[in-house]
Amino acid sequence: MSDPVTLAIPSKGRLKEQVDTYFAKAGVALKQTAGARGYRATVEGLDGIDVMLLSSSEIASAVAGGDVHLGITGEDLIRESAPELESRVKLLKPLGFGFADVVVAVPCAWIDVSTMADIDDVCATYAHRHRRRLRIATKYTQLTRSFFAHAGISDYRIVGSAGATEGAPTAGTAEAIVDITTTGATLKANGLKILEDGVILKSQAQLAMSLTADWTAETRAAAGALLERLGAKLPQGRSE
Amino acid sequence: MPAFPTYGPEEIAALDKQADAILAVFAARGYTRHEPAILQPAQIFVDRSGEEIRRRTFELIDPSGRELCLRPDLTIPTCKWQVDSGNPYPARLCYHGLAFRHPAGDGPSQFYQAGAELLGLQDRAAADVEMMTLAVDALRAAGLAGFEMKIGDLDLFSTLVDALDVPAQWRGRLKRHFWRSGYFDALLARMVSGAMNDAERAIDALHGLDLVDLKPAIEALIDKEGDAPLGGRTREEIVERLTIQASDGAAPRLDAGVAQTITSVLAVSGPAPGALEQIHTLTKAVAAKMEKPLAAMETRIAALKSLGVDPRSVRFVAHFGRNLEYYTGFVFEFWTRGGVELAGGGRYDTLLESLGAPRGTTAVGCAINSERLLAAVRGGR
Repeated sequence: MSDPVTLAIPSKGRLKEQVDTYFAKAGVALKQTAGARGYRATVEGLDGIDVMLLSSSEIASAVAGGDVHLGITGEDLIRESAPELESRVKLLKPLGFGFADVVVAVPCAWIDVSTMADIDDVCATYAHRHRRRLRIATKYTQLTRSFFAHAGISDYRIVGSAGATEGAPTAGTAEAIVDITTTGATLKANGLKILEDGVILKSQAQLAMSLTADWTAETRAAAGALLERLGAKLPQGRSE
Repeated sequence: MPAFPTYGPEEIAALDKQADAILAVFAARGYTRHEPAILQPAQIFVDRSGEEIRRRTFELIDPSGRELCLRPDLTIPTCKWQVDSGNPYPARLCYHGLAFRHPAGDGPSQFYQAGAELLGLQDRAAADVEMMTLAVDALRAAGLAGFEMKIGDLDLFSTLVDALDVPAQWRGRLKRHFWRSGYFDALLARMVSGAMNDAERAIDALHGLDLVDLKPAIEALIDKEGDAPLGGRTREEIVERLTIQASDGAAPRLDAGVAQTITSVLAVSGPAPGALEQIHTLTKAVAAKMEKPLAAMETRIAALKSLGVDPRSVRFVAHFGRNLEYYTGFVFEFWTRGGVELAGGGRYDTLLESLGAPRGTTAVGCAINSERLLAAVRGGR
């Protein structure tokens, strides 16, 4: 038999539960592959589909890098993994769950700052005054760079953050942050406010197709059958 | 050029020979050669060049967790060496070595740069002329038959903004962005229409207050936020910024005539003598203040003429700011007639201070792209 089409879905957390519900509604039943300890499955009634359960961020880089054909994960992670999105990933369908915004947030005590234009001013005077760049803590390096570049700002530096980004200004490791938020409550609890024009991305879970993966007539056919159940379609093939 | 070039014996011999000729010109004028480390702490570049340069810099982390990078230019490490050495000013330093950058398209990820830095010479006009002379002589020593120049001046535009009736809080914005053409036009339009003031701002609560009452009122607004963090900013910074905004009154706007003057000046681009004449005419209303930067530009053009560079081959481009954050004044580039950039440089009077030098330590420098120069010289034969 030819190579199967590969689909990566979240292995844990809230997003996994939501994907399970979504699949159940669409009549897609997964069958665990024996001996795979819950990290591998097939789809009942559909041949040629290999389902892999990965972490959300691994799914994004696997789709961007062509290691899997299809994936379900947050749009924020996909866009962060694939800066040149159009040439690497096709977003097939927004799934209506996993909503979250990627935002620029600054300390509430910065009463003179409410827009990106304000941040631009502050970055310039900060660099001059403190002889170092204003620091933005984030795990979204690519999204932050392109959003700030679009706003004409380069007088800052990104500091990588692996978790609890909202605590960085209090901890003193950064002046402001770019992070994901759903209700804004965590930001508020940490004395931070979102800039009026500081929403970088309104994200939700996406069914995404890798354009860099190895697509054949067989994998397209298998993917087509699965996508039909999920209410999505493959775009017209370019390289068959 | 491939992304990862290998230089064959002929190539490397030709590059070495060219470098020798250029370095001989530098040495004859008292520039001593330095070779900074290829692997550098990332911090010194990040803190001075901003995130735009960083995205083009090859960064890596050593096993102890230090953030390092392959030097994206040799200017910053060379200047740092001078500051750390404690040697007297003025200092004349030069280099020839590889620089590394993520290519924008299919270009090479590394290239040789030959460059010179003149640091701490108080007479800026003399320093500008010396650096241009050095660059012209170096290009000629390498065998380049002809070239075109593009020149600009960040200081000229900055003087214009200060001379015109522009709300104080927006001056910095205009000065920072004048070379980003599309973005700048939109910025001006928003300042004229008043759309710049649409955001909900603390300043709205402060209108009508006397200067003496302003500071406590601002402090009270900050206190209202409780124990929210300040990041690395100080309360004074916030008070200072809001005080400047308050000085502009409620809902400031940029006068449409002033915006028109700015737009017209920035549109000036052409052979230097005529271009400067145009700027003279356009800025008549503030002629006294513009006299100094315009006279400085005339001096530079005269110096180029005496070097045998035809002023008509020198294009003055008002919106030319060089896409690097540390430039502060006069900037120049050398191009082939076919449109390939060969060398560039300019004045960066705040870089040394940021590296720990005494306040006001001046700097002007230039860097030549060796591979492109070699190709141009060969192509011209």
